[in-house]
Amino acid sequence: MIGEFEYAHVSSVEQGCTLLTKHNGNAKILAGGTDLLVNIRNGKDSPTLLVDLKGIEELAEFQPNGKEGALIGASVPLNVLAEDRVIRRNYRALAEAAASIGTYQIRNRATLAGNLCNASPAADMAPALFVLDAVATVVGPHGTRTLPVQDLFVGVKENALSLDEVVTAITLPSQKPQIRTRFLKIQRIRGHDLALLNMAGCLDAASGKLRIAIGSCAKTPLLLPSLNEPVSEDASIDALVEKLNALAQGTIQPISDLRASAEYRRAMVSVLLKKILGALLHPKEEK
Amino acid sequence: MKPRDPTMHTIHLTVNGEREEVSVPAGMTLLELLRERLYLTGVKEGCGAGECGACTVLVNGLAVNSCLVLAVEVDGAEIQTVEGEAKDGKLSELQQAFIDEGAIQCGFCTPGMIMSARGLLSKNPHPTRSEIVEALAGNLCRCTGYEAIIAAVEKAAERGPKDNRR
Repeated sequence: MIGEFEYAHVSSVEQGCTLLTKHNGNAKILAGGTDLLVNIRNGKDSPTLLVDLKGIEELAEFQPNGKEGALIGASVPLNVLAEDRVIRRNYRALAEAAASIGTYQIRNRATLAGNLCNASPAADMAPALFVLDAVATVVGPHGTRTLPVQDLFVGVKENALSLDEVVTAITLPSQKPQIRTRFLKIQRIRGHDLALLNMAGCLDAASGKLRIAIGSCAKTPLLLPSLNEPVSEDASIDALVEKLNALAQGTIQPISDLRASAEYRRAMVSVLLKKILGALLHPKEEK
Repeated sequence: MKPRDPTMHTIHLTVNGEREEVSVPAGMTLLELLRERLYLTGVKEGCGAGECGACTVLVNGLAVNSCLVLAVEVDGAEIQTVEGEAKDGKLSELQQAFIDEGAIQCGFCTPGMIMSARGLLSKNPHPTRSEIVEALAGNLCRCTGYEAIIAAVEKAAERGPKDNRR
């Protein structure tokens, strides 16, 4: 037994919200459970009720190639994203981030929405979704609202949802062929560690618009302010790294913890920037 | 009549091909159900936190850490454990390949390794070496150094898809 609590398998979002409202903060949403059950076992969390959303059909919806873009239901596990060929082609950073999380067994359970709602500063899915302009659909007792995924993150392990709201889906705008995206991270051990730094980049090769998001370097993952001028494919990577690194260093607020010192995290920003820019500007030259 | 205990649930599941009906408390993990109620002690508990992979089983064909799944969550599911590998007293090709390659030392990680490999081979009967490494990355072994284990999965894949598509 990992703890004493009640369990409810609900078949509609409304039913889930009603239970969450009734338990007034003592109920927790159970999706993949790969963080929640560990926290309960360690005594860090002691909900009186777990509301399992995996039986809700609409939350299992997965349309990587919809008319408006991609729709990823809240209970879709990460391995589906890591292995889907449309996601890998059109939203490469998302597939790369998903494949980088935990182990194969964890990714068969862990969900995209769960990774976001946990609101860890190191959430690997966040930087990828930030640069992809992803939007979260949130349902609560008072209706449905949508918000940019960045706005879900409020502080360390603190999200913008009220106690009885549920993220039901993440949507991504359709990708034009000239959009290139990548995700990279630095961690001590593959599969058994969180990122000490993670980063995603998105380049529109036609307009030169570049977006970079960084995680594990502040209370929440961050989307860097855009550069004023468009980025051309023959731009000097070193000069770009210098500009973006200056921008990043003014924005991030890394801490020292068991994974890395704040200084090391700061130093690694330019390392990942260089790799990501190289991959975005010269995709064919990669080994 | 005693009031119904709201933390107890009756679930139905198929374990290694056999239908089971069990009454479980909400806080019981799938690992505890398999080991302590169904006596399938091939499923091992190492870390209890999804780090070591010793408790890996297949739920509806997918490898998962049974320590991170509640028993109530698998109501209606199909579970495979290492006990379901051998048929009629004959080891599966995968188990035999582990023996042939010397992929077992203390043996504690072996059931989890076998089930992660089974999850891979049933979906992808001819995996590349890097696909094998990825599928087994969540299974720790403190004895063998992994090379023999990877070789065993390669051998099982070579020996034939017939047995691997069970």
